[in-house]
Amino acid sequence: MSSPLGTPVDRVDGLAKVTGAAKYSADRSLDGLAFGYLVTSTAANGTITAMDVAAARRSPGVLGVYTPFDPLRIIGPATNRSGADAPLQTKDVHHYGEPIGLVVAETFEQARAAANTIRVSYDVRPPATSLRDGIPTAVEPPMRDDEPAVVTVLRPGVPSIEAALDSSEVVVRETYTTPTQNHMAMEPHSAVASWKAGALTIYTANQGSSILVPQLATAMGVPADKIHAIFPFTGGAFGGKFNTYAHITLAAAAARELNRPVKVVFTREQVFSATSTRPDTVQNIALGARADGTLTALRHDAWGTASISRPFVELSSHRTSRRWYATQNLEISQRVVPLNVPGTSIMRAPGEATGSFALESAMDELAWKLGMDPIQLRMKNYAATIPGGNLPWSSKHLDECYRIGAREFGWDRRPREPRATRDGNWLVGTGMATAAYPAFRYPATMKVAYLWDGTAEVSGSTSDLGTGMTTVLALVGADRVGLPLRRVRARLGDSRLSQAGFVGGSCGTASVGPAIMAAVQAATRQLLTLAVTHADSPLHGTPIEDVRYESGQVRSRRRTVPFEAVLRATGSPRIEGEASAAPGNETRQYEMDCFGATFCEVRVHELTGEVRVSRMLGVMDAGRIVNPKTARNQIIGGMVWGVSAALHEGLHYEESGRLANGTLADYLVPVNADIPDVDVHFVEYPDLIHNPLGAKGIGELGIVGMAASVANAVYHATGKRVRDLPITLEQLLD
Amino acid sequence: MRTFEFSAPETVDAAVAHGRAGATFLAGGTTLVDLMKLEVLTPQRVVDINALPLRGIRAEGTGIRIGALERMADVAAHPLVRRRFPVVSQALLDGASQQLRNMASIGGNLLQRTRCGYFRDPASACNRRVPGSGCPAIDGSNRMHAILGTSDSCVATHPSDLAVALVALDTWVTLRAADRERVIRLADLYRLPGDTPQALFTLEPGELITDVVIPGLPWAGNSAYLKIRDRQSYEFALASAAVALRTEHGVIKDARIAVGGMGTVPWRLPKVEDALRGKPSGRPAFEAAAERAAEGARTLADNTFKPTLLKRTIVRALLELEG
Repeated sequence: MSSPLGTPVDRVDGLAKVTGAAKYSADRSLDGLAFGYLVTSTAANGTITAMDVAAARRSPGVLGVYTPFDPLRIIGPATNRSGADAPLQTKDVHHYGEPIGLVVAETFEQARAAANTIRVSYDVRPPATSLRDGIPTAVEPPMRDDEPAVVTVLRPGVPSIEAALDSSEVVVRETYTTPTQNHMAMEPHSAVASWKAGALTIYTANQGSSILVPQLATAMGVPADKIHAIFPFTGGAFGGKFNTYAHITLAAAAARELNRPVKVVFTREQVFSATSTRPDTVQNIALGARADGTLTALRHDAWGTASISRPFVELSSHRTSRRWYATQNLEISQRVVPLNVPGTSIMRAPGEATGSFALESAMDELAWKLGMDPIQLRMKNYAATIPGGNLPWSSKHLDECYRIGAREFGWDRRPREPRATRDGNWLVGTGMATAAYPAFRYPATMKVAYLWDGTAEVSGSTSDLGTGMTTVLALVGADRVGLPLRRVRARLGDSRLSQAGFVGGSCGTASVGPAIMAAVQAATRQLLTLAVTHADSPLHGTPIEDVRYESGQVRSRRRTVPFEAVLRATGSPRIEGEASAAPGNETRQYEMDCFGATFCEVRVHELTGEVRVSRMLGVMDAGRIVNPKTARNQIIGGMVWGVSAALHEGLHYEESGRLANGTLADYLVPVNADIPDVDVHFVEYPDLIHNPLGAKGIGELGIVGMAASVANAVYHATGKRVRDLPITLEQLLD
Repeated sequence: MRTFEFSAPETVDAAVAHGRAGATFLAGGTTLVDLMKLEVLTPQRVVDINALPLRGIRAEGTGIRIGALERMADVAAHPLVRRRFPVVSQALLDGASQQLRNMASIGGNLLQRTRCGYFRDPASACNRRVPGSGCPAIDGSNRMHAILGTSDSCVATHPSDLAVALVALDTWVTLRAADRERVIRLADLYRLPGDTPQALFTLEPGELITDVVIPGLPWAGNSAYLKIRDRQSYEFALASAAVALRTEHGVIKDARIAVGGMGTVPWRLPKVEDALRGKPSGRPAFEAAAERAAEGARTLADNTFKPTLLKRTIVRALLELEG
């Protein structure tokens, strides 16, 4: 039987999703459910002096009104958070839209109406809300990677990066900026909490119960084993459901206080201000090169906002310029500016998405300055190791991505000069950029079971963020147990299942895949042991070394028996094996990344400056592709995000800290009409050094470089270089 | 959303009787329900008029009469509208999304409220919502805001695409009150903000739009709507132009030009129309005439590009109409 692994298959949970049968967190209803509505601050810095809740308490259906003056008990710091959000524990406010109250009522509408009657008085202090204004006082942040905030690599005898730039034949030195963004998952944040005998059941989408459960346990002051998290479906996360935000802690604390289940769903406006954002960045890049295109110096200084309430370092330079191109002289830096703005955190390709806009725009500028083809320039500086390093890559086929992309996209037909192609009043241009994203892998434990009805089950506590992880579990399981996909069931999204770790950094498949492989071995060993040792087994008495499992059958030299026959004969409803898999020494012996190249064509109206993307291609090197259908979907989604970053998205703070466009009507993301046909091609080289399944990450790769691809195409179309995202038409009106 | 009384009368007489002070009419609900959830609008009574017999798209001479409860989608798709006034059909299709167009009524479309973010945020000051509270847009986030017809108390942009097309066509609306019926020009329905920006319309309390009448204009078959915006669908205009041209032997005999995304009300440009008449149809005449479009414009910090965009949008609309 041929394995379904590597063939394009529909999501195993697709029907449930499109028919509405899939229960997302907010779809949960429990007996006696009450509804909480969040109250948020309208000051960005200061102290709440009073909250008039009299009308709210009198409102119909209201069960509880909680504020810093009458708080729910939640344990945690108000600022500098890394754990769960602990609202209501202080009267200080740190950003506009911060959770400062919760009204719980019999219905959502009653809670909302009551919440709207609450009047808040503040002693307001001037907030810091501008990254640019804070750059002179920016600080070097504590780093989460193993390198310091400033990294310098110099050829022996070169005194400084500036000296290397000074002696370069050609120099490009520019500033690029990217705005604050929000994850904007289709599913807003929601939680349903219910306590029974001191134990909490919480239904809430998240990126890993291994993060959620301990954080929530700390916030509630209970042992972790008292918390059961259930989250079979997540409607998009992108890093935005990694942290334990106030919807979760408030629902849990209110449910405990009221002794009845409580649901809290954020409005879309509250998602903008009460969860987290991708920080805005200012990036200075200086590239020095010889006339033949050889990079002689690369300097990349990045500044990003770090929210005072939830700080984060957007690693724009460390995750791009540190490792993308060969150069003998390199200096990168990361600095942050603490601001009174909503939380900052990871968002799809944190660091790579913003850093690649700067680096890949600058590489394009250098190519023009040198009169060199942008792909040739990148090949000229193709990295065999990272600057100053000596480890080889476990697998790197970026050169093939460039080659295939150029061929498929028709890159050779591209005129060298900008503003050389037009279609009526539309100026036409093309651009490309490199993509790379670290290949992460984390320890994971999974369970596999053979069932009496002839099916197998793969299970673990991992989360399907909408990526198709449930289908990946079933596919890898089906491949290893040798059964058709329909006979394999996948279970995830439950903290009581085998501890499969978190889902983030595009690590999911590479982490759980090897654990499933190991769990199949463990389960099969149990099955074979049962088959030869149980008195009622048809294979009883066969030496264990003489039996093997293959494609649903247990075989000895004389007999072949379906595994379910063994289970039925022995009265065993199921037999299972659990196993763990983790990265090993290879992480110290190799650099590991995923690679790619994106190409796009844009049309810019000569009179009115609108940019329309008319063609896109992504060629990706991400190891073995487990399900080409959902993999393609991931890359397309990433590339659409890149277009969005290039042309649409940007969350703006006013001087007061108010969100100028914190609504889905005003914060633009593309609609279907903005996105043309997207072509995706995988160069498939299983990376068996990285993990035994050979699959690497695809969740984030597609967005990386895409904004630069668009900006580079806009330059090619118009001759105008836009270095500040998003590119809006007024930047292109002559 | 606050609690409110609700009624659903079945006759126009009953509806206007219900529609006294403190009441609001509910048609498609695509603006009203939204603003009630935000508590920007807090009516004490909501009068659902969907059962009223205010339907029908009929030829009236060489013009068209449209019942106020006709849905945007149905009007946009109607063959008579598409043939006689393509600018109207295009303006409707450029507005909102298909789902909204299926719900939103023609009468409601003409009365939709501004998209100004301060107006829609009860935590902000806004002279339209709370007279005298101030206008944060003037020194705030004002890229989308108006440059024509503004005042020191309000710079909010009128949002309807349809109204721009209809104002270009000298459209009339029929208004019913308990004791009378009157017919006014659509352009006269809208008030400039001045120092009373809370008074958006010249409607009397309880007055109901029953019909929209586009008078005959035989050459309006040569008309078009161009909308320039930050994404290609489901977004309000940065600039838009409703244009109609009558040319004979390459000479412009008559023109209708109105623009959106620019004014506090749908903005007709008679001086641009005058400048086009008698000129040879073509880019030089279009550019020369468009130069007059931004006369009197007052730009704000974030929208200094709008006068240029306005002129370019008119030129492009005329060029595309000319084919």
